[in-house]
Amino acid sequence: MSKRSIISDPRLVYALLALVVTVPILSHAVLPVPVSATTRAVFDFINRLPANSLVVLSFDYSTSTVPELHPQAIVVTQHLFTRPVKIMFVAQWTDGPALTDAVLDAIEKGNKKYGVDYVMLGWIPNIATVIGMTANIAQFFPVDTLGNPTASLPLIKEFPAGKKASLVITFATGEPGLNDYLQFWQAPFNIPVAVGSTASAAPGYLPFYNSHQIVGILISLRAAAEYEILIGRIGLSGAIPAMVALSASHAMIVIVVVAANVLFLLRRRKTAGDST
Amino acid sequence: MSRRDLLLQVIIFALGFFYAFTYYVRVSEPVDLQALGDQLFAYLTAMLTVAFAIGLINLTRVHVNSIRRRRPIWRYSLVLVISMYAMAVVSLISSPFAIDPTGAVIPPALMDAVNPIWEFLYYKILVSINASIFSLLAFFIASATYRAFKARSVESTLFLLAGLLVVIGQAPASDLIWPGFCAIRDWIMAFPTTAGERGILIGVALGVIAFSVRRMIRYSW
Repeated sequence: MSKRSIISDPRLVYALLALVVTVPILSHAVLPVPVSATTRAVFDFINRLPANSLVVLSFDYSTSTVPELHPQAIVVTQHLFTRPVKIMFVAQWTDGPALTDAVLDAIEKGNKKYGVDYVMLGWIPNIATVIGMTANIAQFFPVDTLGNPTASLPLIKEFPAGKKASLVITFATGEPGLNDYLQFWQAPFNIPVAVGSTASAAPGYLPFYNSHQIVGILISLRAAAEYEILIGRIGLSGAIPAMVALSASHAMIVIVVVAANVLFLLRRRKTAGDST
Repeated sequence: MSRRDLLLQVIIFALGFFYAFTYYVRVSEPVDLQALGDQLFAYLTAMLTVAFAIGLINLTRVHVNSIRRRRPIWRYSLVLVISMYAMAVVSLISSPFAIDPTGAVIPPALMDAVNPIWEFLYYKILVSINASIFSLLAFFIASATYRAFKARSVESTLFLLAGLLVVIGQAPASDLIWPGFCAIRDWIMAFPTTAGERGILIGVALGVIAFSVRRMIRYSW
């Protein structure tokens, strides 16, 4: 196989990538992970919330983005369960309620009681409900995912309308997701919003962070690892062992890009020399 | 324009204007327009639920016909119909989407028996399959990166350098090599990337407003 065909054969790149991702994960190697400003912003905001604040956690992702967003959801939920706040779980994507269950199974709930400190309202079927629940939660969610009438739950009695929330965190893959909360919760009621996003979606959310419309962004699996360090629960979501694999795969991509460019420039010089 | 079209147009204009108005102007006397809007939205929820059911019926009809007539892809249709209804039945009996989670009608023993099946189908099969397919993106990105990032011109060289610096800065180990990588990544993301994204967002928003106004007044540009 010639030099040109080696670098232009994607199968070689695929095999190398598979190797640099699997070996670090299997070896359980760990790396110190510096905490990004966007992640720290979410952590600090939650820590500053007054007691008895309402936090809405919206699971707006599907099973396909579980590797990136689920660890974030686990660590943030764990952090909230250690704070004296009330938590309301909703989901704009149909997979959300099942993923909420999985998150609650993965964390320590401490002394928080269902119905008093946290509730699971389930799937938000459309934008009408996102808007409507700011005014009256029980009207749009007559029962929670366990079948309890929401109007009878102490948490809903204390917070009958979503506009009383002190923070909304959406773990978002796309639409519906952050934009709905920005348009119908943040803009009209000035409710702070944070987002947990995939790496590919994060650049789209940065304008809102820089304009202070969202309080922070958790970017990809790396944010989950950073958050584990911030809350002092290393190993909770499994994100930290993946950081070596992430670094190795990024390094491999940089090396392949540099190698491809060196070959490209050599070939161009040779072609230019041949033509003269 | 026929009378029917005119009536539809009037409804579209009235509802479009009503929601745009109530978004920006709060009116509570003599009628609470925001509450009225919320009430209308509740009806919309019911309508969309019916639309979802129509989708299910349509999907079933198309694929059952495909199986009956032994079309070339009939085996896939069979898998689709069986998977769809099996998962739906199991989910309705025992899952976070259960139709009777308190066990008022469905016997709790049945729910307990079905729950492990649902958990296996959902967490072990669906999550694993979807996560694996999405993870293949890493391979496509790796392949696309070294093909796209070529120093063909001054512009593409700048693109290449910015892309490489962000890739390096995004790697957790980059901070161990040189902390400046993270600072450079943050600057690229905060300024050039945000500027580009903001331009796209504003462009899309203006397009949506223009389209909405055009639809409301039925003006063809």
